[in-house]
Amino acid sequence: MVGLNEYLILSAILFSIGVVGVIRRKNLLMLFFATEIMLNAANIAFAAISSYHNDLTGQMFAFFIVAVAASEVAVGLGLLILIYKKYGTLDLDNFTVLKG
Amino acid sequence: MENILSVLVFFPLIAALLGILVNEKSIRAYGISVATIEFVLSLWLWMSYDSANGGFQFIEFFPIASDFGINYYLGIDGISLFIVIMATMITLIGIVSLSITKNLKNLIISLLFLEVTMVGVFVSLDAIVFYLFWEFSLVPMLYIIGAWGGEKRVYAAVKFFLYTFTGSLVMLVGMLYVAYIYHSVSGVWSFALTDWYALVLPLSVQKWLFWAFFLGFAIKVPMFPFHTWLPYAHGQAPTVGSVILAAVLLKMGSYGFVRFSLPMFPDASVAYIVPVATIAIIMIIYTAMVAYAQSDMKQVIAYSSISHMGVIILGTFAMNAEGITGSIFQMLSHGIVSGALFLLVGVIYDRTHTKEMSQFGGLAAVMPKYALIYGIMLMASVGLPLTIGFIGEYLSLAGFFKISPIMTLLAGTSIILGAVYMLSLYKKTFFGPVTNEKNKTLTDLNSKELMGLVPLVAIVIWLGVYPKPVLVPIDNSVKALVSFMHEKAQTPEARAIIKVSKSTKEAK
Amino acid sequence: METLVYTALFAPLVSSLFAALFGMTPKRQFVGIVTSLLLFVSFVSSALLLDYVMEFGSIHVTMMDWIVAGDMSVPFGFNVDQVTAVMMTVVTLVSTVVHIYSNGYMEHDKGFNRFFSYLSAFVFSMMVLVMSDNFLGLFIGWEGVGVCSWLLIGFWYHKEDVGRDVNPSISPAWAANEAFIMNRIADLGMLVGIFLIYWNIGSLQYDVVFSHLDGLSHGMLVAIGIFLFIGAMGKSAQFPLHTWLADAMEGPTPVSALIHAATMVTAGVYLVIRANPLYDMIPEVGYFIAALGTFVAIFAASMALVNRDLKRIIAYSTLSQLGYMFAAAGLGAYWVALFHLAAHAFFKALLFLGAGNVMHAMHDELDIFKMGGLKKIMGWTYAYMGVASLALAGIWPLAGFYSKDTILEVAFNEHTYGIWFILWLTAGLTAFYSFRLVFLTFWSDSRYKEFGFHPHEVQKYVLWAMAPLAILAVVFGWYKDSFMEFVTRTLPLYEMSEHTHHMVGVLIAVTTLVAVGGIVVAYLMYSRRLKRNEKIEKSLPYRVLSNQYYIPIFYEKAFSKPYAELSDIAWKEIDMQVVDATVDGIAHLVEESGDGARGMQTGNLSDYLKWMAFGVIALAVLAVFVAMKS
Repeated sequence: MVGLNEYLILSAILFSIGVVGVIRRKNLLMLFFATEIMLNAANIAFAAISSYHNDLTGQMFAFFIVAVAASEVAVGLGLLILIYKKYGTLDLDNFTVLKG
Repeated sequence: MENILSVLVFFPLIAALLGILVNEKSIRAYGISVATIEFVLSLWLWMSYDSANGGFQFIEFFPIASDFGINYYLGIDGISLFIVIMATMITLIGIVSLSITKNLKNLIISLLFLEVTMVGVFVSLDAIVFYLFWEFSLVPMLYIIGAWGGEKRVYAAVKFFLYTFTGSLVMLVGMLYVAYIYHSVSGVWSFALTDWYALVLPLSVQKWLFWAFFLGFAIKVPMFPFHTWLPYAHGQAPTVGSVILAAVLLKMGSYGFVRFSLPMFPDASVAYIVPVATIAIIMIIYTAMVAYAQSDMKQVIAYSSISHMGVIILGTFAMNAEGITGSIFQMLSHGIVSGALFLLVGVIYDRTHTKEMSQFGGLAAVMPKYALIYGIMLMASVGLPLTIGFIGEYLSLAGFFKISPIMTLLAGTSIILGAVYMLSLYKKTFFGPVTNEKNKTLTDLNSKELMGLVPLVAIVIWLGVYPKPVLVPIDNSVKALVSFMHEKAQTPEARAIIKVSKSTKEAK
Repeated sequence: METLVYTALFAPLVSSLFAALFGMTPKRQFVGIVTSLLLFVSFVSSALLLDYVMEFGSIHVTMMDWIVAGDMSVPFGFNVDQVTAVMMTVVTLVSTVVHIYSNGYMEHDKGFNRFFSYLSAFVFSMMVLVMSDNFLGLFIGWEGVGVCSWLLIGFWYHKEDVGRDVNPSISPAWAANEAFIMNRIADLGMLVGIFLIYWNIGSLQYDVVFSHLDGLSHGMLVAIGIFLFIGAMGKSAQFPLHTWLADAMEGPTPVSALIHAATMVTAGVYLVIRANPLYDMIPEVGYFIAALGTFVAIFAASMALVNRDLKRIIAYSTLSQLGYMFAAAGLGAYWVALFHLAAHAFFKALLFLGAGNVMHAMHDELDIFKMGGLKKIMGWTYAYMGVASLALAGIWPLAGFYSKDTILEVAFNEHTYGIWFILWLTAGLTAFYSFRLVFLTFWSDSRYKEFGFHPHEVQKYVLWAMAPLAILAVVFGWYKDSFMEFVTRTLPLYEMSEHTHHMVGVLIAVTTLVAVGGIVVAYLMYSRRLKRNEKIEKSLPYRVLSNQYYIPIFYEKAFSKPYAELSDIAWKEIDMQVVDATVDGIAHLVEESGDGARGMQTGNLSDYLKWMAFGVIALAVLAVFVAMKS
């Protein structure tokens, strides 16, 4: 029987993968993927808890997140393409304009 | 004129703003006229001041943020009256004897702004308004040192600013805490000093607040060991900056003790007489020694300022009318005398571009008028009777003698050590043969310099011989202050030590 | 009568201000004349006041309030009683003579006008000192004479500092500063005395203070007495604050005559005389004063024995005579002290002015070993200095005989035979060194010829001006009884015991014997020619004496140098290295911690994300801890 715990564990694992990806990866595109993974981890948790409690609010939020993520990807990928066009790379180590 | 105090505060402000429109050529005349008008106004204030009344006069009250207890609340008494007059006078003399030509317009406008803040500090009766003027005074001074100073001017200006600023922030916290207590006691917010005076604080609270205010005032005075910004500031500041710094800005600190610490925390003030007096004695003896070790004439006078401020602090904590009146008179005396001495150093610096005493020697033969005025100021500085310097020093020491004869004896060494460094300065500079060829052709004081110095000499002698017109208003306010402190004091020690004058007792 | 009081007091001030108007211009003869005239006016007023006081008693005037603060109220008030009238007359008389004399002495000095300004200012301060009716007014004069003394000692300020072996006073400017600072040390003592009086009695007026002394504890009286006497020690150059007086001889000679012999240095004695009700109540302090005075008398006389400097010898003799005055005052014979003070003022001023003539003739040479045989050329000066020296030595019938002899009688009468003996011995030494000076200068071989000097007598009017002093040095003693009658109207009468009365004849004989003995020894040793004994001059006692017991060097090594070094340490080591370094250290700490933390700002997104993750974890851990605790 797949219970709430299993869903939450899956969510936690996905989230951790996302966090590690965000921290470790140097390519901006990969960072994007990692962020998406974290968002989806949150979605799984939302949906699971929502069904567990019989409360639709969580699933509604999951939809919201999907929508936000979609728009974010749209804008973000556009920016990435611009960056790539301008600098010819998406390697994070090259972007240190804010160095103090 | 009902609003004379507001006029005194805002006239220079408006004049300074209008000054931006005046062209570079006539700015000097403009500055002098504004400062003269301001000075005359302050004299008018004195004329219409009621000497017999020791309380606040010319009170103005205008709500700014009444819900938070912040009001535009001005007033003066005998304690602040003469410091205001001195501030306007020193500004006038500073502008008259300006020898700087670079960016003169900016300088004069800065000086007028400075005048606004100086007058404002001494006439405010609202802690927040006081604090605003107190902090604003740093800005023009920072600019004057930083823009017209010597080689290390930026370092000196920044040090001056940050150091005094740090101290006043602690003071601000203290002020907010007093207001908070006032709120919790009475249910309304108030920053009015007269309200705060009525607040009776428990001793434990007084002690904390005393040190909070102490830090702000002590750095400004400056008291040992917070004094090291002063030699740099004086060393780098242009003459006019040093004159105003020594004459007026330092007095803000000692004035603060009289205006805030004594009446608000009488018990704590009495409890801390010994540590404060110890610091004052260290100031007197230690800085007198440091002054003796200097080779730069201006630094001697800078350190001597600290030494004299020690006597002022000692007098303030004498807790009797003699000592406090003496310390306030000494504030005036030190303002006039050290102002004049800095002007005199400026005179020789303008001619030789050095302040090193080893470069001089035998100047008495070359510049007799200069030597004469320097000599008079020197004698006033070492506290010769019949000059202004004696009365304050004598009364301060006499007052503190009631508290502790031994400490007074130690502090009294100032009359010996003061003579040691001042006379050795005079000997190195004015006596002996003229060793430096360049000095043989120096010109004596010109009319512009005399115009600045002669009034100061006249005041030094006038107030030395006949100090009564100044001493009586101060004394009346101080007597009222002391008897107020005596009534407010809770601890038996404080009641025993705060000594109400016989004449006050008889009046009751 | 008020007008007379103010005339006597302010004529010197007017004179000073008048001369000051011309202070920076070249010599104007009329400045000297006008100031002398004004001083004469002051003298006449003082003499008239003396006459008035003699008939009608003391006068008291209050001019105006000075310091009014708290309970303190100090007026400018002046009180002319018998003591003050005597002091005023003595001061103005000597001052007038010195002013006239200075017209000749300073003839070629480019600071002629300035000199008169200072000199008159001094007289004004001295008048304030003696006339004031309260302690703080006295203190005004006290400090005022100090400043004028500073100005006048350092009058030739342009001279360079030289080593102690060349000139023991180093330079006029140095000597002036030394005098001022030494006096300031004593003034602090005096100020403390004034504070004690104020806080215990509540007033500084003499009459109030002296009538309230009964209410004070004995310990308090002793403290007041001691602190006031410390003030007196500085002004009257008593040991250990004596070194400045000999160095003060750097000033022009009229200054030495007026300030450092006749008037200012006696201010300390005046203070003790003035405070006689106080000192009468504390005889142990009085005894100490007498003992110290006696010590100074012989101590100073011993240094005068070997000195070769004309003016320094006279300075030491002044010091020694001040010791006599303190001995008398300390033993309670205040009128005797005042009598000796006045007599001493006359003959010592005369002696100094005579020395001035000699210096003038010898082109400022001061070494008496380079003089000799001057009596042929400078007959009048010789006569004056001879009379003054005889008076100083205490030979009948001159003034010094009466005054000094009375002091010795007092010492005998008090059964303080030690004091008597030392003072008696000092009388012999005094006679010896005075006549050593006279013989070496005016008698013996004319050594000055070897050094190419062409001495000449001074102007006639200068000699005439000195005549009043000479006459007084002779006749003043004859009025001892009337003087006593006059001043003891305010001062306590001093009664000799029956026993002393019987012994007076013997005492006079013994004293005269030792004085004459001193003169005879001087005559034998120095009257024919100067014989120098190398062996004696190299011996230890001689060197100790001629180096003033090495006290100036000791002061320099023990006080001046360490103070300068300590000051240097205070500045360079403490102020800069500790206090300021701490402040800068705090500033640096803030700056460096900020600079260190700046490393975090790499600008790299993944680094930031790492920090963020780290922060989240830290917060989570904290949250867990808090949750577990509650």
